[in-house]
Amino acid sequence: MATLRSDFDTLVNALSPELYRYAMGLCHNPSTAEDLVQETFLRGWRSRDNLRDTKAARAWLYTILRNEHARLYERQRPEVRDPFELPDVPVHGYDTSAEAFVMRRALTHLDADYRDPLLLQVVGGFSCKEIGRMLDLNTNTVLTRLFRARKALREQLSDQPQLEATR
Amino acid sequence: MNCLDFRRQLLTDPFSKDIELLTHEAECPSCAPFARDVRAQEIRLRNALQEISPPEGMAERIQLAARFDQRSTVQRRWWYSAAAAVLMTVGISMVSLVSTSIDRGNVALAQSVINHIEDESHHLREAQQVSAGRINRVFARFGAEIAGNIGTVNFAAECLMRDRTGVHLVMPGQMGPITVFFMPGEMADSNIAVNSTRFSGRILPTSWGSIAVVGESGESLDGLGERLAAAVRWPDSRTVDSNLFGRGRLIAASFTQPQDS
Repeated sequence: MATLRSDFDTLVNALSPELYRYAMGLCHNPSTAEDLVQETFLRGWRSRDNLRDTKAARAWLYTILRNEHARLYERQRPEVRDPFELPDVPVHGYDTSAEAFVMRRALTHLDADYRDPLLLQVVGGFSCKEIGRMLDLNTNTVLTRLFRARKALREQLSDQPQLEATR
Repeated sequence: MNCLDFRRQLLTDPFSKDIELLTHEAECPSCAPFARDVRAQEIRLRNALQEISPPEGMAERIQLAARFDQRSTVQRRWWYSAAAAVLMTVGISMVSLVSTSIDRGNVALAQSVINHIEDESHHLREAQQVSAGRINRVFARFGAEIAGNIGTVNFAAECLMRDRTGVHLVMPGQMGPITVFFMPGEMADSNIAVNSTRFSGRILPTSWGSIAVVGESGESLDGLGERLAAAVRWPDSRTVDSNLFGRGRLIAASFTQPQDS
């Protein structure tokens, strides 16, 4: 038990920052993001046999967090902060430039089907194959959604629609 | 790779190291600036998401929460164990209660059989063989019919056993008269011993009810109950109405006939 405990603590120290960033990308709310990360790790701890393989555990924890976030929306729609507002509590590293606010707003407006693979790629650094496994999609669908996500972001960030490929 | 494929692939992964992609970028004057713009935007996206640090002490709070969760799980397990123990005790008590109730029911039925024989012991002295027609009529009241040889019968009548009616037969045996009760609707789970200072026998379960076969102590009754059960064909147990309250008129009528018990 002591080893398991220690392994779990190591995992929390290693993965909680990136999971928090992922949670922030989903909800843009520091308090909700911390709750999501804590609930994710608690669920992980309750099923700690799945945490033995660190590489698999990482993808698994991301999946738990995404599901927790979806559940949160099912139970009660949490406050999704206006990305143009500063968070209630100071968030270290929170980019307050106009450019960043515009980017966060564009991200907020993305459909979840496009936002989820994009966040997993940008924040989690997962490959298309890994994202496919996590979202239960085939790799081609993941590629299409990533393309559409960035295309939609560019369209939102530009006054002029870009001359890009359509699919 | 054409411009369309290049842009499509670039938007799925702006920092791809794919050789074909990089070659097209180097050779295409219109796609190169597009690639630079896409990558600049990607850097802004990553900065907006990746520069954020979690609140101070978040990891410690999570670790602490997990320890509390572990304790509460242990406590919950203790409660579950306690609850399971209580439920098991209640369950065992219920099983015990049910089995006690069944046992009592069996004893009560066996005792009713003995009481009936003793109360109507005068039928044991019947020495005149009853006609086959009479036997058929008694069984016919229940929709049953004789389908085989049931042997010599000195008394045959419809009778009341507890709150049901059945067929009461007395047959000659080696040690004295043997009493047989056909008890439709009186369902028994297994063979029930019937014993008194004078009589001994057993109650056999059947698909339609049960048969009691009781003789003087020491009488050989082996196979008699089974043979009698096979010799009488009963209707489906669901259609046999032997309940006293459902057959009141029939009982009243039968009680007026000779040989009724």
